[in-house]
Amino acid sequence: MRVLEKIRLDDKVAIVTGAGRGLGREMALALAEAGADIVAAARTQSQIDETAQLVRTKGRRCLTVQTDVTDSASVNRMVEATIAEFGKIDILVNNAGGATRGWNKPLETLSDEIWHNGISLNITSTFYCCRAVLPHMLKHGGGKIINVTSGLGVRASRYNFMYSTAKAGMINFTRALAMNYADKNIQATLILPGIFPHDDPEMMAFWQGGKFIPVGRTGKDDELGPACVFLASDVSNYMNGEMIALEGGGLAGGEVPTGFAPIVPLPEGAQS
Amino acid sequence: MSLESFSLAGKTALVVGAHTALGRAAAIALAEAGADVVVTTTSLNSRESERLSACAEVIRSLTRKSITHTLDSTNEADVASILQQTVSEFDKLDILVNAPDLPFAKPLAQISLAEWQRVLNENLTSVYLTCRAASPTMLAQQSGRIINIVSVLGERGMANGSAYCAAQAGVLNLTRALSLEWARNGITVNAIGAGWAEGMGMIADEQLKQQLARYVPNKRLAQPHEISDAVVYLASDSTGFITGQTIWLEGGVLSRL
Repeated sequence: MRVLEKIRLDDKVAIVTGAGRGLGREMALALAEAGADIVAAARTQSQIDETAQLVRTKGRRCLTVQTDVTDSASVNRMVEATIAEFGKIDILVNNAGGATRGWNKPLETLSDEIWHNGISLNITSTFYCCRAVLPHMLKHGGGKIINVTSGLGVRASRYNFMYSTAKAGMINFTRALAMNYADKNIQATLILPGIFPHDDPEMMAFWQGGKFIPVGRTGKDDELGPACVFLASDVSNYMNGEMIALEGGGLAGGEVPTGFAPIVPLPEGAQS
Repeated sequence: MSLESFSLAGKTALVVGAHTALGRAAAIALAEAGADVVVTTTSLNSRESERLSACAEVIRSLTRKSITHTLDSTNEADVASILQQTVSEFDKLDILVNAPDLPFAKPLAQISLAEWQRVLNENLTSVYLTCRAASPTMLAQQSGRIINIVSVLGERGMANGSAYCAAQAGVLNLTRALSLEWARNGITVNAIGAGWAEGMGMIADEQLKQQLARYVPNKRLAQPHEISDAVVYLASDSTGFITGQTIWLEGGVLSRL
């Protein structure tokens, strides 16, 4: 089979959490375009309804399940509803998460509540979803788990303790999944999106159009879909526990102010 | 997005080291996705040339153009000349894949300076030479995709592997540095981190292969295409925001102790 045919996802079933907007919706639509049926899960029914409509315009089925990923009973119901509708789960995208409330808080001002809620939303949710989905993947001979992390999962930024901790946890949780279920044909991988303002003018202004990012711009939403499809497809079957980072070069060195090294010639006589 | 996002129709690629298992699979995957592919060896070796011709045959059977060059990729003038010929034939160069792989293992105390230099030259210096030779074209185009294939031994050490490990790690950090240098020029520089695949020179021994397969979480070695197909994604137009990165396809090896 040629490589472009191997990237298709026909007849696969994918659950995407946080599918009501932004990155989650983008990934749900990309998976649908590649041929997968979608289960769109999120807290806000009206938002997943919109996602579902968009999925259907691509000729795929979409089940919406209003879900609170911080509640294991709610997660279990989402998985039961998926099995009732589609009979299997091939792909799980753990995208739900967020940092807003823990953002820009010096450690000494970070409350128990913000810490626990943040950890619960960003990492415990992934544990709940994986625990509920794994038995079905094992029963059907394998599957793909795609976890969403962040640049803050590998580097730190000012006053973002909860999010940095949770997203780093996501990375090693993914490695643990890979390590333990690889021989059952389950591949667990990560997407690391850098700054994606989703065409929101306020966000664009906040990130200054990405001028500090080495490539000189922020990410475009349509760049996320292909990464997700690549990880969900059979072409990445030998990739396990590893990530695709779409972040414009910041992780390779640092953000632009660190800049170019000054020109430093070799000492006299050192040239051969 | 559409699956057209992965199409490479109309692109020109150069694969240096297409005689190796992974280089060959990369060249064929690029052709399957629609690119014309110029393929080279990395040394003036008749066995490498034969493997190269076979690879070019496969590419042509996919109705893509292919040109073969027997190349010493450590020779500055020869590398420059191959790049020039490629650009004059196709008027551009969209994709450069570096897939050198000179395996070598020996206790450090016994490695001669000549051996050390050859391992570094063929695995690392060749990558510098091809990137430099491609740069006038890619900088003028303000676009390009450079993809270096490295080994997990660029990230993990191995006893008796010092020279090879150093060279592979060199390619990884060359990838990061160069990605920043050309970040504003539309050129992305990334790596594919390769696990253990069938057909690799380093692991010809059957017993070693079985040992490795037990160690790898996926419990098997890769077929070369399972690693090299990822070049199609990295070479595509949808990866402009990925640079200085390594996509590891290694069956989970880097996840475990």
